[in-house]
Amino acid sequence: MSPAPDLDIRGLVKRFGRFTAVEDVTFTVPEGSFFSILGPSGCGKTTLMRMIAGFSRPDSGDILIKGNSTIGLPPNRVAANMVFQHLALFPTMSVAENIGYGLRRRGHSKSEIAERVERMLERVDLAGSGPKQINQLSGGQKQRVAIARCLVLEPALLLLDEPLGALDLKLREQMKVELKQLQAKLGTTFVYITHDQSEALVMSDQVAVMNAGRFEQIGTPQDLYYRPLTAFVAGFVGNSNRWRGTVSAVGAQTRYAAEGGFELIGQAVSGLSVGQPVDLFLRPEAITLSRGTDPEAAAANALVGNVQSLLFDGGNSMAIVAPDRGGGSITVALPQTGDLADLTPGEPVRLSWSAEQVTGFAAASAA
Amino acid sequence: MSVAALPSEGAGRAGLRLSLILLLAPALLWLGLLIILPHIQLLALSLKVKLGPRLYETGLTNYTEFFAESIYWSTLIRTAFISIAATALTLLIAFPVAYYIAKMIRGRRKNLLFVLALLPFWVSELIRTLGWIIILRETGLISLGLQWLGLIDQPVELLGNDAAILVGLVYTSMLFMVVPLVTVLDSLDDTLVEAGYDLGGNGFAVLREIIIPHAMPGIVAGCIIVFMLTLGNILTPALLGGKNSLWFTDQIFQKFIVRFNWEQGAAFGFLLLIVSSLVVWIGLKITRQSLASTMT
Repeated sequence: MSPAPDLDIRGLVKRFGRFTAVEDVTFTVPEGSFFSILGPSGCGKTTLMRMIAGFSRPDSGDILIKGNSTIGLPPNRVAANMVFQHLALFPTMSVAENIGYGLRRRGHSKSEIAERVERMLERVDLAGSGPKQINQLSGGQKQRVAIARCLVLEPALLLLDEPLGALDLKLREQMKVELKQLQAKLGTTFVYITHDQSEALVMSDQVAVMNAGRFEQIGTPQDLYYRPLTAFVAGFVGNSNRWRGTVSAVGAQTRYAAEGGFELIGQAVSGLSVGQPVDLFLRPEAITLSRGTDPEAAAANALVGNVQSLLFDGGNSMAIVAPDRGGGSITVALPQTGDLADLTPGEPVRLSWSAEQVTGFAAASAA
Repeated sequence: MSVAALPSEGAGRAGLRLSLILLLAPALLWLGLLIILPHIQLLALSLKVKLGPRLYETGLTNYTEFFAESIYWSTLIRTAFISIAATALTLLIAFPVAYYIAKMIRGRRKNLLFVLALLPFWVSELIRTLGWIIILRETGLISLGLQWLGLIDQPVELLGNDAAILVGLVYTSMLFMVVPLVTVLDSLDDTLVEAGYDLGGNGFAVLREIIIPHAMPGIVAGCIIVFMLTLGNILTPALLGGKNSLWFTDQIFQKFIVRFNWEQGAAFGFLLLIVSSLVVWIGLKITRQSLASTMT
């Protein structure tokens, strides 16, 4: 039998009055992995995290850390430690006292605490910062102290509640890389919750996308990006052109009539029938853009149009193209090679993309 | 243009200085006329030694008399100790109350409880103390209640002892401890308490390592206010302690009003000031707080 996973959640439910915050969530996190829970604010991810940490009790279901149920245990006896959104470093203590807090609670000797704190500070590249006060640290250093304060206790599991949310953009990008490297170096299991898809995609081994209290999909970042299983995941992870439409033909390929008035050809999808309303997704970066006025013959999907506007943003530059036939607009990523850097609004362009790039999901009946 | 603007700018600065002086004037006048000047006068008065009618010399006799007569210095020590005890007791009772108001409840109930803590102070101190007399006297509520329950067979007098003085002083001081504590506990981030538990702390450890260090400025501020008020209180010890109260402010009152010995009274006033400043200074040293940090 394989060893118990670090975290095993079974059928977890949490209700607040009539509102169900977490609905039947089940997942496991293997030892030493970086697991993210990604979802918009209010989706229940913080409630889920607080149940794992022991701050609130689930209405039903079970939480097992290293095979032992934590239901009913107070937070100070749960073998998981938490890095809070605003870090919650103790401002009345020095860096070393912050990190030593948990060890003091366990009754270790003073010399042992000092030694373990110093070793932990070295591991997070803060050697010698022990006597500093918290307000003398930079944002990134505070982050590392908050993580060190948990890791010095050698928890089975480290929970991180959007710890990068309060940082500015540059530092956030840097901390993303740093956190991933730190996790790889230490080998501790991280469970990370965030509403920022880029944080989840960059750092995680596995990502669970959460919406309205449920897990929509659990998979690798690549799975979520290239093979979304639901319309929510397709819309939430990465950028997409999104249309409503209906299925016009099924077979080797599926044809869709999009609301804008143009036709999209996608791969065969089982379970769709002609006339069924669908949500269609097409990623801006999956579209080939070139100058010209006649459509590309070889591609499954091809159309011509005019550049409506250009959104220059360095590596994330986009062009909004108005197709000649049909209404609406399509957002297209500009190639990174700089070939089309001199594109101007009003220029005729042609767009093409393959059938694999078009994703269609049966529209929710309520919509 | 900038050259033309210069004279008017200078005039503006002078106007600014005038308005600053005018703004500070009430506070400066209050400090100068009501606090500094009378104290200088009291100091001068306390150093005068009466030799005969309208005949004075400068000396320390008023002070040496205090140390020579044991009733004087023992009363001052007793007053200081009871005041410290009352302050400690007030802190012990007010801390849970303040923590409950600041952290455990939210919204309207929070405001309601805060007002409830404030409400007794809408009544004058005299009336409040008389209320305690009604409760504690021989024919009072407690005495009658215990008789009715059959726990005692004759009336019991609860007034005129140190416990009665303490009860009255603590009750009078509650608000002045609760308000700074609520303010300082309100500013304590809940996640700090949660982090304290998450990292393995129990309730006692969280209180000792996180809540109390955070609340220290409020605790010290509250204690200073309550100690000063208690030490300077004259009404409560007199009414609840009766003849046995032996309260130092009462002796100052006696010197000034009854004996008409202003010189001695002024010296006693200064001794009280020195003792209270000393106790506050020692308190700040022990808690490693500065006066400035407790006032912000």
